[in-house]
Amino acid sequence: MVLSAYRLMWMMVMFDLPTVTKPDRKAAAKFRNFLLDEGFEMSQFSVYLRFCAGTSQVEARIGRIRANLPKRGKVQILTFTDRQYQTMVCLEARTKQEPAARYEQFKLF
Amino acid sequence: MASAAGIVIEVAEDGRHLSLDRGFMVVSVRGTEIGRVPLDDIAVLIGTAHGLTYSNNLLLALLERECAVVLCGRNFSPAAILWPVDGHHAQAQRMRAQAEITDAFRNRLWQAIARAKVRNQGAVLEALGQPAGAFAELARRLRSGDPENIEAQAARRYWPLLFGPDFRRDSDEPGINGLLNYGYAVLRGGTARAVAAAGLHPTLGLKHSNRSNPMCLVDDLMEPFRPLVDILVHRLAAAGQREVDRDTKRVLAGILVQDLRTEAGVTPLGTCLFRLASSLAHLLLGERQVLDLPLSPLPLDLVSPHTRKEGAHGAQRVSPDVDDGDV
Repeated sequence: MVLSAYRLMWMMVMFDLPTVTKPDRKAAAKFRNFLLDEGFEMSQFSVYLRFCAGTSQVEARIGRIRANLPKRGKVQILTFTDRQYQTMVCLEARTKQEPAARYEQFKLF
Repeated sequence: MASAAGIVIEVAEDGRHLSLDRGFMVVSVRGTEIGRVPLDDIAVLIGTAHGLTYSNNLLLALLERECAVVLCGRNFSPAAILWPVDGHHAQAQRMRAQAEITDAFRNRLWQAIARAKVRNQGAVLEALGQPAGAFAELARRLRSGDPENIEAQAARRYWPLLFGPDFRRDSDEPGINGLLNYGYAVLRGGTARAVAAAGLHPTLGLKHSNRSNPMCLVDDLMEPFRPLVDILVHRLAAAGQREVDRDTKRVLAGILVQDLRTEAGVTPLGTCLFRLASSLAHLLLGERQVLDLPLSPLPLDLVSPHTRKEGAHGAQRVSPDVDDGDV
């Protein structure tokens, strides 16, 4: 049993959107809400993270982001594997933290 | 966007409240959030706790995504599955075809499904080093509609060979039976989802026709996959794990991402269920000739995959069996 065909990936969406005028702020909020609806979680302000079950999902999500882009501003998307995600160094208030979300196939609450 | 092999979520502790926030299901205790999961990633939501509350918006959002919501009663046997009324754009046409199916056609479909089940039972026994030759023979002898009830004959041989002569399959018993119930509940959730996505009616079954069972078709289509739950349970029992607890649930919930060989290459079991249900819908409309069933697993496919420990990085992966080879 090998899950290689749908390798585990993470997507990081980083954006700089203008917020000077009211329509710009509205467009920025709309884009942010779109990312939340798509299941992206805020990692930092203007940096959102999401797990994907494979490259085809990554491509589909990039297509949807492209279709929902605000008129102005800059968006960058970075994808990396789950293993690379696990090696992320997180520093917060001078202490080292574990990466927040870990992907599990079964969740018990 | 929902993928066939998503996350299985179980809410087993009292006092949890499930609600919707943008694209997430939020789990909270007395107003404090303890976790959130993207809705698109959820395949099956299992509710086993008594003091559990849901928001209506959340249930609607889950149904929109054809997520199976399974409410479990005692011993982890499902009491109800939430069913989306509107599952597929061609649903009305497909359900009409399903209602008008002839007996001969239904019998042939059941023959294909029951054959696959008996063959898979044989594959499971073979992987465990048990005599399994009779099962290939039984599968061959299984005729349209299974008039000799070969499926039951196979079951009579199967259970003692798998769990010993003293074992009785009884869904009210704890131990191995509880583990089986839990694995089947996950499988039933995944199958229910596939049936809904294919626009088929769950009550109009092929063989199962129990008057009190609203999920006859679901129970029909999951039959060939049951032996895969059985071998997981056998492995757990052999390792001394007979309780339905956090560890065993994790293993059993992984059934939907277990890889199976198909005509079109290797895909997770969850995807095989989607393809089986959709091939049935096409068959009913005369757009296809054969059911899309996975190939019988080889003994090697079934050899103890879940015993491998977590990756060197301590990462919990989508299943413990992910190929860690390259980054």
